[in-house]
Amino acid sequence: VSGVDRTSELAGTGGPNPVSCHCVTCGDDGVPMLVLAVDESRCLALCEDGTGAHGSVEIALVAPVAPGDTLLVHAGTALTRLQDAVA
Amino acid sequence: VKYVDEFRDAALGRTLAAEILGAVEPGRHLKIMEVCGGHTHSIYKYGVDDLLPTNVELVHGPGCPVCVIPMGRVDDGIAIAREPGVILTCFGDMMRVPGSDGTLLEAKAEGADVRMVYSPLDALRIAKSEPDREVVFFAIGFETTAPSTALTLKRAKAEGITNFSCFCNHVTIVPPLRALLDSPDLRLDGFIGPGHVSTVVGARPLEFIPADYGKPVVVSGFEPVDILQSVLMILRQLGEGRCEVENQYKRVVPYEGNLRALEIMAEVFALRPHFEWRGLGFISHSGLRLSDAYADLDAERRFAVPGVRVADPKACQCGEVLKGVIKPYECKVFGSACTPERPIGTCMVSSEGACAAYYNYGRFAREREVV
Repeated sequence: VSGVDRTSELAGTGGPNPVSCHCVTCGDDGVPMLVLAVDESRCLALCEDGTGAHGSVEIALVAPVAPGDTLLVHAGTALTRLQDAVA
Repeated sequence: VKYVDEFRDAALGRTLAAEILGAVEPGRHLKIMEVCGGHTHSIYKYGVDDLLPTNVELVHGPGCPVCVIPMGRVDDGIAIAREPGVILTCFGDMMRVPGSDGTLLEAKAEGADVRMVYSPLDALRIAKSEPDREVVFFAIGFETTAPSTALTLKRAKAEGITNFSCFCNHVTIVPPLRALLDSPDLRLDGFIGPGHVSTVVGARPLEFIPADYGKPVVVSGFEPVDILQSVLMILRQLGEGRCEVENQYKRVVPYEGNLRALEIMAEVFALRPHFEWRGLGFISHSGLRLSDAYADLDAERRFAVPGVRVADPKACQCGEVLKGVIKPYECKVFGSACTPERPIGTCMVSSEGACAAYYNYGRFAREREVV
């Protein structure tokens, strides 16, 4: 057996996702996501990750956020805004 | 992708590797533990260890949330899933963790309603759409996923959703680090500190490592350049005789953490007197339960769980792997009886587990070395 790429067969079974380079099934993984739209009344934001996938993200811990912000998202909840920590 | 591409730059990685070579003390074997499973995964995915001098060894720590779940808790989860009318929701990797009598995935095959969710909020959504069923969220993870669970429970309480409950297995990072540092069979020279846990708790809780144990800590990001830079920062501390908590991951980690997340966690959770960790045994004040204010959402109070402690399989050496005492390939069943497709131990289940990382990315390189 030589260096066969097994990532595709592992995707979806807890293995690494070859596209986004993060595990698709384990929730404990930080993903940078771009805010597209904000629903302040429900504390949710529509966000896009590096692969173009969209998802709604809980923003109670980092609010207020605006479209164009980049958030670090863990298990559907934004933990920090990326620019904040650098500043 | 912004914040990603620049930290995977090969030329920058090679420059850092050369600086590491210059900073390392010849003849001294250094052991640096990366606490977080995310680091372990990145190290093997990108071959970071191949860029390090042979006398700098990376030891893999207990920071994979799936790997540290003991078998007894998996059995408890399966018992809840088998209760009539229950929908058990959990993160995907948790479904494949073996208990003493099979996995949640096998329980699902036998008829239990077990569903994978990406976020606890998805579990709450299921509870709202199926008001006649009891929906239980199998909560696991460190301080990275705990705020998400806490917010979900707050929402459930505020919205008066009564058919939702949480089987809480959240753990905290500091007590196991202290247990590792107190362990007599382990000699470590420094720590690559957990990046995303520190976004929540901040870097301050890690200050006991230099203060009480005299070891440097560098909170690190997860890209290959992040990890190489953190190794270099640890080597510089050692070379200069310094010993402190440094933050390599400033673009994400504020030194104080996320105070709003800490407040919500303090409201929703309370410390358990002790909690069992796979391979590390019982550690005082290391696990979280729901606080009394949220007791009516606690699945352990709502359902009868066996709560029996189950010893790990004899062939499995996850405990030694989690403590960094042995390398994954030194385990007797690594890659033969225990594979990601049919794991015996937890470290082979999650992609962040040390064994799975070696199996997926490292074993070919190791075979070449042996030949």
